Amino acid sequence: MKKLIALALAAVMVLSLAACSVEKTEPAATQAAAPAATEAAAPAETTAAPVEISLWTYPIGNWGTQETVDQLLAEFNAAYPNIKVTVEYLTYTDGDDKVNTAIEGNAAPDIVMEGPERLVANWGAKGKMVDLADLWTDETKADIYASVEAACNDGNGAYYEYPLCMTAHCMAINKTVFEETGAWQYVDADTHTWTTENFLKAVQTLYDAGYKNVGAVFCSAQGGDQGTRALYNNLYGGTFTNAEHTEYTMNSAENVKALETLYAQDGINFDASINGGEEADLFAQGVLQMAFCWNAATHAARTEVIGDSFEVFPMAFPSPNGTDTKLCGGIWGFGIFDNGDAAKIEAAKTFIKWVCDENTVESVSTSGFWSVRQSVADPYADDALKSVYGTFMQYMGDYYNVIPGWTEARAAAWNMLQQIGTGTPVQEAADAFVATANAAAGK
Amino acid sequence: MANKKISVNSKSRRLMIHETVTSYLFLLPFLIFFVGFVLYPMVMCIITSFFDATMGREDIFVGFGNYKELFADPVFWKALWNTMIIVVVSVPVTCVFSLWVASAISKMPVAATSAFRCIFYLPVVTGSVAVTMVWKWMFNNYYGIFNYIGTSTGLIDQNINWLGDPRFALGCIILILLTTSVGQPIVLYVSALDNVDKSLVEAAEVDGATQMQAFWKIKWPQIMPTTLYILVITTINSFQCFALIQLLTSGGPNNSTMTIMYYIYYNAFKLYRYGYGNAMGVILAIIIAILSAVQFKVGQEK
Repeated sequence: MKKLIALALAAVMVLSLAACSVEKTEPAATQAAAPAATEAAAPAETTAAPVEISLWTYPIGNWGTQETVDQLLAEFNAAYPNIKVTVEYLTYTDGDDKVNTAIEGNAAPDIVMEGPERLVANWGAKGKMVDLADLWTDETKADIYASVEAACNDGNGAYYEYPLCMTAHCMAINKTVFEETGAWQYVDADTHTWTTENFLKAVQTLYDAGYKNVGAVFCSAQGGDQGTRALYNNLYGGTFTNAEHTEYTMNSAENVKALETLYAQDGINFDASINGGEEADLFAQGVLQMAFCWNAATHAARTEVIGDSFEVFPMAFPSPNGTDTKLCGGIWGFGIFDNGDAAKIEAAKTFIKWVCDENTVESVSTSGFWSVRQSVADPYADDALKSVYGTFMQYMGDYYNVIPGWTEARAAAWNMLQQIGTGTPVQEAADAFVATANAAAGK
Repeated sequence: MANKKISVNSKSRRLMIHETVTSYLFLLPFLIFFVGFVLYPMVMCIITSFFDATMGREDIFVGFGNYKELFADPVFWKALWNTMIIVVVSVPVTCVFSLWVASAISKMPVAATSAFRCIFYLPVVTGSVAVTMVWKWMFNNYYGIFNYIGTSTGLIDQNINWLGDPRFALGCIILILLTTSVGQPIVLYVSALDNVDKSLVEAAEVDGATQMQAFWKIKWPQIMPTTLYILVITTINSFQCFALIQLLTSGGPNNSTMTIMYYIYYNAFKLYRYGYGNAMGVILAIIIAILSAVQFKVGQEK
């Protein structure tokens, strides 16, 4: 109760913030009718009594769009008419605040859709989630990529996420400008990769050609920070954590050299006034010539803005030999909050199994990403551009986001970049970050 | 006679009880709200500040541990310093500017006065997110209007990253805060100036007082209660500056715009350190209470 009041106090303080998220909660069963084909199908299964469960979803592709989710829910209700799902659409700006407040107020949703860094490393580690080990059958484990399975369990046998989709976060360049300035020669267009040396030469070429804002190491907040991490980790082969996910290794010689190089490089700004989404917007508007916060969904969301003004060319992050790049992965799926109601937990599992096991392709396509299952073919095989993004999956690196203390470390990481951007020696800032992050990991 | 007196006293007593009960019944809804949403949380805030409280485990009593940590936390001191700068700059500027504008527009025809009141009050009634987003666009490092005007007129050589540079970020926050803070004081001052006894002003002028003398000797003392109210409200609002920080800078760059309010939020919501956040809340409340008391005292003496 005290925690609830504590959070309520803080919530009162931030009441002046207008709600940034779109909230629409309507019973799915009363919404758009299912397609004719689905309506014709007989319900596959019914529960004994009607159950209403809530789903809170972050904007994972079109899983953040009401119209699309309504369609999926209508199909689900055709098969399971006794389970009504109400949906709340969160944003990454205030979604965590809403979920945390709900948890402390004993009003957590039944299902939440996000990644292992929240479901496993945060709420799962705090004992708030239901163990979904029963959903992870041997058949499922054999089908889902091992790296994804590793991210979805806590290392002690408890699974707090049942995954649906994944992607490899990449970067993008303005191909039109690269060609105009002669920087295109530094890009391996066949593999969409480049070496660190060629990346730096390309940036310098653009800068010398008059493009003073080639790229931005954005650091106003944590949004899109997987992009900046992948950039400085890959340049000279550094890592963010050790392989065991027990310690942060940001202050290694490789990472320090990478940040020093970026800070000294003409055309690269350490910009504390923008986050990842804003950087992607600036790239789409042609203000920046490369984006470090990019993936298939980011591209799709900005297609209209980009229009015909230039051609976007997705790229892997530069690394010493170009092909040893390790991209940060995004894994998204479902977790169930332990609200103490067995019927709701069972209904939530039914919903998750339907989305991930029975309706896999449509559910994955809704996200705009790729399936976590090896048995599911590329849903975008006919889409040339999407297929390019699909090829980046081979470069997927370690999913280190599940390291303890991640929440605090993540906040400290963009503070570290701000310090570097304002002149603090890189080694000093990196050492301070590691001290803070490792202290958080040890709590 | 004696019986009649007793009867009257009894009636009067019953009437008094009846009125008292009625009054309390009218007050009851607000009292419930006040106790439930203000008093109780305040008490719990103080209690929680003595615990290491976080999500997912029982609270641990740490006595004054959170307070000790607080006073050794450089970010807290930075946040306190920034908050004090915001208060020290914005409170007097808001009061002086509001009084100046109110004095100017209160002499205008009624329609013009109303129009100006509306204009200055607009930022207050407009959603803070909308206002902040417009300012963010104007301060944009790459295509903001301030950089455009500055470089076009030769005032600056190259674009300034207003919100991303520690030298300018806090100033930008204060500027936005001022625009959203002056609306209400202007409206209050216009009303207060209208209520000044005009016969006293006219009499002073007949006696040879200048406009300035009439203002300081006649008007100023009469609008002092309004000034006091504005001072207290503006001080509290400045101390509680949060939305601007959250939407524009998240306390950065390099904690240059970190305020106590944002640091409370950061600890409570981002780091799950409820006890530590509440300890900061208690300290902030004490500072605001002391400053408000001083303002009231000084105002009453004047």
